[in-house]
Amino acid sequence: MNTLITCTVNGLVLSAIYILVALGFGLQLSIMGIFNFAHGAVYMIGAYVTYGLSVGLGLNQWVSLLLSVILVGASGLFLERFCFRPFKSIPTRMIVMAIALIIILETTVEVTLGGVTRAIPAFVPGILRAGFISVDAERILTFGIGAVLLMTLTYMIQMTKIGQQMLAVAQDAEGAALQGIDTHRIAATATVIACGTAALAGSLMATIFSMNPFMGDNILLKAIQVVILSGIGSIGGILAGGLIMGMLNAFLPVLTQASIGELITILIVILILLIRPKGLFGYELF
Amino acid sequence: MLLEIHNLTKNFGGLMAVNQFSMGVAEGQIIGLIGPNGAGKTTVFNLITGVIRPTAGNVMFNGKDVTGNRPHTLASAGIGRTFQLTPLFTEFTTLDNVVASYYLHPRSSFWGAFFNTPTYRSNEAYVMEQSLKILDLVGLSKVKGERAKNLPHGYQKMLGIARALAVQPRLLMLDEPLGGMNTDEIVFTMDIMAKVRQQGMTILVIEHNMQILDLCDHVVAINFGQKIGEGTVEEVRGNPDVIKAYLGEQNAP
Amino acid sequence: MHIKSFLNQHKGITSIAILALLIGFLFALPRLGLRVYYMHILIGVFIWIIVASSLRVLDLSGQGSIGHAAFMAIGAYTSGILSKYLGWSPWITMLIGIGVTIIIAFLVAIPFTRVRGIYFTMVSLFFGIGVLAVNQVFSKYTGGYSGIGSIPLLFGYNKTPYYYFCLALMLVCLGLMYRLEHSRIGLTWKAVAQSHTVASSIGINEAWQRILCFGVACTFSGVAGVAYTHYYALLTQETFSFGTSINVFVYMTVGGAGLFAGPIVGTSALIIIPELFRHLKEYVPFIFAGILLLVLFLMPQGLAGLPNQIRRWYEQHSKKTKPAEPVDEVAKRAA
Repeated sequence: MNTLITCTVNGLVLSAIYILVALGFGLQLSIMGIFNFAHGAVYMIGAYVTYGLSVGLGLNQWVSLLLSVILVGASGLFLERFCFRPFKSIPTRMIVMAIALIIILETTVEVTLGGVTRAIPAFVPGILRAGFISVDAERILTFGIGAVLLMTLTYMIQMTKIGQQMLAVAQDAEGAALQGIDTHRIAATATVIACGTAALAGSLMATIFSMNPFMGDNILLKAIQVVILSGIGSIGGILAGGLIMGMLNAFLPVLTQASIGELITILIVILILLIRPKGLFGYELF
Repeated sequence: MLLEIHNLTKNFGGLMAVNQFSMGVAEGQIIGLIGPNGAGKTTVFNLITGVIRPTAGNVMFNGKDVTGNRPHTLASAGIGRTFQLTPLFTEFTTLDNVVASYYLHPRSSFWGAFFNTPTYRSNEAYVMEQSLKILDLVGLSKVKGERAKNLPHGYQKMLGIARALAVQPRLLMLDEPLGGMNTDEIVFTMDIMAKVRQQGMTILVIEHNMQILDLCDHVVAINFGQKIGEGTVEEVRGNPDVIKAYLGEQNAP
Repeated sequence: MHIKSFLNQHKGITSIAILALLIGFLFALPRLGLRVYYMHILIGVFIWIIVASSLRVLDLSGQGSIGHAAFMAIGAYTSGILSKYLGWSPWITMLIGIGVTIIIAFLVAIPFTRVRGIYFTMVSLFFGIGVLAVNQVFSKYTGGYSGIGSIPLLFGYNKTPYYYFCLALMLVCLGLMYRLEHSRIGLTWKAVAQSHTVASSIGINEAWQRILCFGVACTFSGVAGVAYTHYYALLTQETFSFGTSINVFVYMTVGGAGLFAGPIVGTSALIIIPELFRHLKEYVPFIFAGILLLVLFLMPQGLAGLPNQIRRWYEQHSKKTKPAEPVDEVAKRAA
């Protein structure tokens, strides 16, 4: 019983993290048509900026988190303009660009702070108890922040003008440009949102688990898996895909060996790609 | 009959693109398939060549039922075709477009290329020679080194025909070969079609340019996916349904 | 001026002469007193050139893969495990390793023909990761993360024979790949990459050609894998990881995927140049990334396309040459 609850809570937390990262990845994929393999590195940088501000400079943790999201989000403007836009239409070059970014970001962190594993102190230490169930407060918080942010984003995309413009660009970039939508501005907005959410996810992950310069590589693969599972085009799809992946990743290691769990997840992803390339909930990626 | 189509039907999610369409193509003839834009001509082509599968009906080629066969099987059975919109390997040179189209005759052998066998070398030489001949026939020898995407429109169309000829088909299917061509090019293209027929090839051609009728032995008219007339050029020209389809209801006699 | 016109007239002979000189130089290097350390680096370069070039063969048919190291792993682990645990001669297990790679490559290629373009790339990515996961599941035999060590060597501890062996292997593989690419088979693969509709209209069985191309490319990758095993004698999870596949992809792209010399130049540059800056220690990755950025922003055809690019730039900026001919001119000349 206890294992079940622990797994469920872990699954929810992982889901929240996966969804936050996958949302940014999927947003850039649908709006700019790029596979941004550097998204994991941005997530890692987000965690390290929070760490640097709170542990290094001694700022309040919540302030550090907010600053990290803002700073990393703003760096999205630079990334979009100078790293993604020139290679948007050439997928192979985009991959090389992302690799260059990953190397630069990871190496920078490694040479300045070293490759050791660290952790950000918990935002809300302590354990919540309800009857015989006990859960880290931090995990509940992570899930809560993730959920609130997702609702905000969904609201933004569904209700605001810029959200509608994003949807338009995602469906038909050329047509949207002809309608007078500034596609570059939309792409920049999408990248800023993506980088901001990645920074948030990275910081939360670093408080619950730990962080090292290479933490982004794993989460990137998870984000791609979520996007493949759900397809792009619907936020609901990403939510469902993220939940499925989060639960799989929380339960499979308990049910079988970790390596077999990993293999099962990958087989599912490959099968979906081969049989239903548009994912379970979305439309075709391209 | 080289090609026979019986009651061919294609239903695109409720939209009848082709409905109960039947026609025959006799060996050695040039058959015209005419009709206004959106009449379903290209769909008929795609159904015959296996690009899309028919909902009902069947296609007989050379006495065999080839309904729903894959495009490459039909090409090796002896059907060569051109495309209206994406006719070429755009990154290849003119010559390479034709050489690549010699895939079947003789077949390019993997082990031959791997071990550089004498048969392989003589085959490659033969293909090169034949390709140059075909380019001569369609008047493209002078641009054999140019990339296909840099060629002017008329040349691209001619190259499409050259490519289809390289398949050495018994039935050559041309999808609007005259589309977008100027007067000189039209005359030249029709001249080539006549030459090809003399060599014993059968041609099925889609056009809505009526000039093509000068060449045709037999014409089938189609509108809204259904056959509206068939016969010799004169018969079809005088067919009130065909005139109506082309000129609109109010002008019909 | 004389030399220049001579070179222009005998372009074929000149390039063959340069190539022969280069190969001769590479063969002579150990006798010229090449340090053992550099010999070690060059052996690596030879092996990775085979892999990067084989990735380019796959790319010819429009199948961009970022999981290519998986097939290297299959060959390498098969040969390594058989020779270590069964004590068979490496020469025999190498052949078996290549055979197993061929079988798996062709089997895998069949379902992969269902997807094209970026979907294929994604499938290849997860196939690569899947092979690593299999490696973990069977860690009893493969050693998992720590890997297997002390695999029987091919020629003992002297590096010179390996140098000659890998150089010769690379040249043979490159020769075969060059011949395939410039045969009608290669033309067919490029045709499939450009338009499968047009390709099938001329009788090309797209699925089979893609399977064939996949099989061939992965076979070369397996060949490199078995050579790797019996030289380095150590295989770990990291050796053929996702990062390795990506590296190979980067070697090819940075060198220039459009040119035969691309992966060769790319691999050499991206292995040797960071090696020259070895004294920078943990800052070396910046050199690597710097090369990538340089190529991305300044060389649209990759490193191997640089001479062409310079020549074109030179021609455009010297007064003698005319500006590029417009399309109409081509037509007029032809008419």
